[in-house]
Amino acid sequence: MVSLPGATPFEVIAIWSVLVIAFFGLAYAMFLRRQVMACDKGTVKMQEVWDGIRIGANAYLKRQLKTIIPLIFIFTIILFLSVYVVPPTEESKLRFVGYSDESLKLIIGFGRAVAFIMGSLFSLMVGQFGMRMAVQANVRVASASRRSFGEALKIAYRAGTVTGMLTDGLGLLGGTLIFIIFGVASPDTLLGFGFGGTLLALFMRVGGGIYTKAADVGADLVGKVEAGLPEDDERNAAVIADLVGDNVGDCAGMAADIFESYEVTIVSTLILGVVLFTQTHELSWIIFPLLVRGIGVLSSIIGTYLVKGEKNAKSNNALKAINKGFYSSALISITAFGVLAYFYLGEWRSFLSVVVGILLAVVLDEITKHFTDGNYHPVKDIAKNSKTGSATLLLKGMSYGFEVAVWQTLVIAVTIFASIMIYNGQPIVYVLYGVAMTGIGMLTLTGNNVAMDAFGPIADNANGIGELSHLDKDARKIMDSLDATGNTTKAITKGVAIGSAVIAAVALFGSFITDVSKVQIQMGFEKTAQLIETGIRISVPMVFIGLLIGGTIPWLFSSLTINAVTRAAAEIVEEVRRQFRIPGVIERTVKPDYQRAVDICTISAQRELVPLALIAVLSPILIGSLLGVEALGGFLAGVILSGQLLAVFMAGAGGAWDNAKKTIEDGLYGGKGSEAHHAAVVGDTVGDPLKDTAGPALNPMIKVINLVSLLAAPVIIAYQKPGQSSVGMFITGAICLSIIIAAITFSKRGGFKKIPFEM
Amino acid sequence: MSKFIYLTATPEALIASMLPPEAFGEYLSTGTKKRNKGQAIFFEVDLSQIEKLIDMDSLNKRCIAKPDGSPKNSVYLSIYKVLEMVPLSALKSLYLTTDNGYTLELKRTPYDLANENRNKLYLFQELCPVAPMVASGLTPSAFLKRLTDGSTPIAVPKLFFVDLKLGDLATNPMKGLVDYLPFANVVHLRDCLESLKGDYEKHMKTVQRVFSGSLLYRTIESGFYVGAKDEIIFYPYPSLTELEDINYEFFRSI
Repeated sequence: MVSLPGATPFEVIAIWSVLVIAFFGLAYAMFLRRQVMACDKGTVKMQEVWDGIRIGANAYLKRQLKTIIPLIFIFTIILFLSVYVVPPTEESKLRFVGYSDESLKLIIGFGRAVAFIMGSLFSLMVGQFGMRMAVQANVRVASASRRSFGEALKIAYRAGTVTGMLTDGLGLLGGTLIFIIFGVASPDTLLGFGFGGTLLALFMRVGGGIYTKAADVGADLVGKVEAGLPEDDERNAAVIADLVGDNVGDCAGMAADIFESYEVTIVSTLILGVVLFTQTHELSWIIFPLLVRGIGVLSSIIGTYLVKGEKNAKSNNALKAINKGFYSSALISITAFGVLAYFYLGEWRSFLSVVVGILLAVVLDEITKHFTDGNYHPVKDIAKNSKTGSATLLLKGMSYGFEVAVWQTLVIAVTIFASIMIYNGQPIVYVLYGVAMTGIGMLTLTGNNVAMDAFGPIADNANGIGELSHLDKDARKIMDSLDATGNTTKAITKGVAIGSAVIAAVALFGSFITDVSKVQIQMGFEKTAQLIETGIRISVPMVFIGLLIGGTIPWLFSSLTINAVTRAAAEIVEEVRRQFRIPGVIERTVKPDYQRAVDICTISAQRELVPLALIAVLSPILIGSLLGVEALGGFLAGVILSGQLLAVFMAGAGGAWDNAKKTIEDGLYGGKGSEAHHAAVVGDTVGDPLKDTAGPALNPMIKVINLVSLLAAPVIIAYQKPGQSSVGMFITGAICLSIIIAAITFSKRGGFKKIPFEM
Repeated sequence: MSKFIYLTATPEALIASMLPPEAFGEYLSTGTKKRNKGQAIFFEVDLSQIEKLIDMDSLNKRCIAKPDGSPKNSVYLSIYKVLEMVPLSALKSLYLTTDNGYTLELKRTPYDLANENRNKLYLFQELCPVAPMVASGLTPSAFLKRLTDGSTPIAVPKLFFVDLKLGDLATNPMKGLVDYLPFANVVHLRDCLESLKGDYEKHMKTVQRVFSGSLLYRTIESGFYVGAKDEIIFYPYPSLTELEDINYEFFRSI
């Protein structure tokens, strides 16, 4: 039964309705899947090509599981045992009345561990099922392109929507289920759910990013640049790996990233909502955000179903159709939220916070578009600078990259200020709740956003299949149009992913302060020593040190990520070169060994991401154990600010360089083959790993660090009273430092040293 | 398997092959272990008209299938004065291959002198046997005749060249818009064209002495010309719209 003390009948029905909606979202995903799977897969040649992609994708997913499952096992045990270090909260005693302390520890420990497994598995499911769906869809889209644009668009977008609905449904399901079972004791277990989702997202995003860029760069450097082969030529051994990489990076990785933001915003909102409930005894602080998310799922279902191209049209504006779906969902959502606020809340503050979140998503979209779309001044300016060479083009792109980071950060600052205004005069926890509600609003249309994003690799792959199976001109034109649209939607959703990561991190930062304060109160800290009273004081030297170190972490992470891509790409380059030397490959009498290239990419990606994951998980523990919990707060602030600026810079500059090149290829400044084009190609090559690997990798990194801090903070407080040093904490810090140094050293190992290839 | 004879323009060579034209083009641009890559421009030559000019015994001995049965890719027959040696009547279709291996066939067409526009400037990229880029006030037929009739010291026996787009520069060298044209030194091009509008009797100005080896196919204006004195063969280049229909892969590639 739902444990909601003082709940009205409406609230009880509401919470169960949200659970039903979560399942409905999943059922809708299965419904769409059946629709897509019923479509034909085209010619024998198309299916042959597709088979290669499918086998490669399955190999990656299997390998990924082998890497991740041991880590899930280890962390499950750690989380279960953590409850014996930091006792369950007072809210747990309220929820589980009559249980002994030992039984309570078992319940909470078990709950946290199971929640972690659930978060991990859900994140894994979103990535893996989403990617499998994308792979099933790509050949069907290619086949439909032979008939009509409308049919191809519908299949591509609905396949993307499957991933979107999985994200929505599973994210909402997890948070709601935990709340139904644990009620006011939810925060204890929600962190486990959040951490599970975040950790898996880190693996999928970073691993996917390394894979996709290594395959892309490796295939292009040797195939296109050295050997002069066309894009997606069957003689290129890395062509299948390249097509698989589109799904790994843009589909699985991005879906897991957005799922993580989606569920982390639920986690932080519920944590803060429970705090407010204990103060005000009003369940609306908890029920309203869940209802908002539930409405979001329903409006996404309606909006995504509306996306279809004109019947029997040979070419059309796909983006128009997709935008129609998106704005329809937004309109339905805002209207429904207003009605809900009016009849249920009787006041407008939470509704306003949600609307601010939706507006934030729209504004971030527009800012991203302004700086990265070829129709606007910045990209045109960058393209113009190609006339004076690659140096000026690169400098201009960097300049705009820096600028977009400023604007996006300012917009987020304004959003937080809006929360201060909305909850004017209230204690800080209300403002933090307002920020968390902004995150709820921002990710309301996750179903649409993920659909838009997953659509991209499906269209891209379909184009590759069309190229490799020599489809006719009309079908190729349709796929070209879908592919171009997919590139645009991918860029837009990247902006949303970064923005949502920062808002989620800020919301978690709020949860960090309240959670730490709760434990401090429980442990009998003086009021003047409680974090909710002191705040994070950067005037304190230790805290400032934490801030400085936190600011460096995203830079270290990006440096190591780019190195990882270069190394993995080097292995692929060597392999493709080796296969070109096999007699018959160039002459097309012998088929290259595509699977070998896929395996190299897969193994490299999984191997390279382990040191990165260790840095993300252990750095907050290191700082907290050596410098204290307030310094850890400073560290978090540094990570969030620095990470946000760097992520937006990389995504913005990379996107702008990419579109500057496309603008020139469309005929500006001499067009393809001109000196300007050569300069633009340099810019695009530099920007690609930034926008597709290093930049996106920062999103889950920020949240992993946040969640580890939240989980570790109570332990740190328990062993580190103010004014006292702890040998145990010192040893913990030393161990973390050693592992981090080893991880950095491993990650920085140099050059083209060949790693023994193993199956 | 059949034997084909090809005359490649850059570099100039006469090559026998068992590959049909599209496959030969792909082989030249991407298919050799020498790691040569780049576009190819070549004529198919009528073997029956040049049998007396080449060593047929050597050709028949060398141009045979490989031990595994696959066709012989190339047998070089000559690399010097090839265009001079091969009669114009022996030239069949002209083939253009992109640097990633897509080939377009251009058929020879009677050239209508009456359609020539004498009221504009031209930009010619000579391809064989010499390869400067030349701005000229002469029409293609007049240009060909001037360089092959021996009336000037810089004559050649035959000439193969292509007419490139000038856009607005053809009539307004100093102020015409050229953003879509990829020429590296537009200022120098403008000066060359402007000098041709004066009373200067030269009618030609070298814009670029050395050919980079890469012709941007989308900058081709009317097409390719080959000939000597009054004999001119024309290979018209299709418009982009026509090209999209005729050869989509080639169109996408350029």
